Amino acid sequence: MEGLCCGPGYASPSEAIRAPSEKLLYTIAIYTGTGIQKPDYLATVDVDSNSETYSKVIHRLEMPGIGDELHHMGWNACSSCHEDNSMSRKYLLVPGVRSNNIYVVDTATNPKAPNLYKVIQGSEIKSKTNLSGPHTVHCLGSEIIISFLGDARGEAPGGYLHLNKDFEIIGRWENSMGDIPFSYDFWYQPRHNVMISSEWAAPNTFMPGFDLEEVGHLKYGRRLHIWDFKKKKPIQTMYLGEDGLIPLEVKFLHNPNSSHGFCGAALSANVIHFWKSENGNWEWEKIIDIDNEPHSDWPIPIPGVMSALLVSMNDKYLYINNWLHGDMRQYNITDPHNPVLTGQVWMGGLLGKAPIVNGVKVAGGPQMYQLSLDGKRMYVTTSLFSTWDNQFYPEIRTKGGVMLMIDCDVENGGMKINKDFVVNFGDEPNGPSRCHESRYPGGDCTSDIWL
Amino acid sequence: MKKITIANRNNSTYEVKGNRPLLSELRELGLDLPYGCQYGGCITCAAKLIKGKVDQKSQLALNNRQINDGYVILCVARAKTNCTFDIGVESHDKLYRNPFIDPLAPHELKSDIATIRKIKDD
Repeated sequence: MEGLCCGPGYASPSEAIRAPSEKLLYTIAIYTGTGIQKPDYLATVDVDSNSETYSKVIHRLEMPGIGDELHHMGWNACSSCHEDNSMSRKYLLVPGVRSNNIYVVDTATNPKAPNLYKVIQGSEIKSKTNLSGPHTVHCLGSEIIISFLGDARGEAPGGYLHLNKDFEIIGRWENSMGDIPFSYDFWYQPRHNVMISSEWAAPNTFMPGFDLEEVGHLKYGRRLHIWDFKKKKPIQTMYLGEDGLIPLEVKFLHNPNSSHGFCGAALSANVIHFWKSENGNWEWEKIIDIDNEPHSDWPIPIPGVMSALLVSMNDKYLYINNWLHGDMRQYNITDPHNPVLTGQVWMGGLLGKAPIVNGVKVAGGPQMYQLSLDGKRMYVTTSLFSTWDNQFYPEIRTKGGVMLMIDCDVENGGMKINKDFVVNFGDEPNGPSRCHESRYPGGDCTSDIWL
Repeated sequence: MKKITIANRNNSTYEVKGNRPLLSELRELGLDLPYGCQYGGCITCAAKLIKGKVDQKSQLALNNRQINDGYVILCVARAKTNCTFDIGVESHDKLYRNPFIDPLAPHELKSDIATIRKIKDD
């Protein structure tokens, strides 16, 4: 029945790969923490190489107030309700980590110039659900769940906000947090009745900035949690220990039958591979270990800080970043137990390998990225989080963030920075801003889940 | 009433009551200040106290080194006396540090995990 249905998204990953190329993308850009007293905004970037405004910001939707720290975002609907023709991928939900507000942005009425449709006030979320510090947004059929890292006072472990399709608060999604100490990212795989969640830290810990000593005091996470998705409660914890310090992004393979997935442990700079074994228990192993790199100014070698991770729609390639080193890597994961490094590029970073890319001095390192559905174009931004940027890359205050594009070879493997594409957020009209996560109107490699 | 002087805004002065957080009182008087969470947890509104006293015991964002360097979380701090501040990111010179190059000593951590420094008798 592929292609016959008219709900949002695609019937399968293979149909998604054949979708038309993206013409524009949305990225959030922040002024929070930069010293510029302006609202954070959603930028529309023209990525149509035939357009006169290719590689430029063509619209800026300012949020109503300052100080949100926009960060991650997600769609109201994805392929998980592909068979529901009453739904459409129209609204982008954009949370503010610091303000707790969630902005619902209509991207369909005028895709180039999205408009603000609704604001779910942070104070309402706090009073009704005792949650703060929103992060990952996933649609769930026609409904939406959002992970929050703290309670209303910014203490861990937070929980999950459940919204209906009209963006009204239903309440908390989970029936129990079990003994989970921290929250962060999550992904679900319905055919295995499973959700997996990872751990950053309490908002009161990570928002003011990073201190290594707080890792030693167990203020940061080092576990993954397996959930019974229908019962909405955690059922198994995988303690990663020193191999999994600060496990951030988690992704399953896109194939809905697969139980294999990956997590990037930011501070350990390791990729953790997890899967369901034949006896039904979940297992994990470390499959990639990025060595710390010596630096003349540092008393200890620099950790990579693997802050994000992405799987191509055909499940062939895994992409990781090392924010402090400055490199993006591509691994062939045809055998998920034995990844093979197939590509690497450098942009910014502290090791000095690529301080200037396409004529722009890169402040920061590769941090967030989004891959086209066909796997050929990867858009990369350089800011992590305002306070952490200020600690490790203080020059980003005056230089702002950068968006670059990597051409990815999907046949033979390999990565190459595209010479014709660079968006310098240091040149924004209100002063240097910092770009972070990106989304395409037609879906992307971190949105869609198949039932 | 307490007189608040903003040193790095041409020594502009504001009269506040001191019974509510400085962020609220100063913003209502027209001073443009950065802020984020508004409960003392996120550090966006930090300013540097040059002179005077505040009550900021409900702040959760600062470690002891930042407090010793004079930083104040304006969204929860109340003025106890006349105060002089530097505000905005220009005042953040000591607020952000590379934690690997310049780590905190045990007594400089946040108050919930800091150890008490033993001072040797001479």
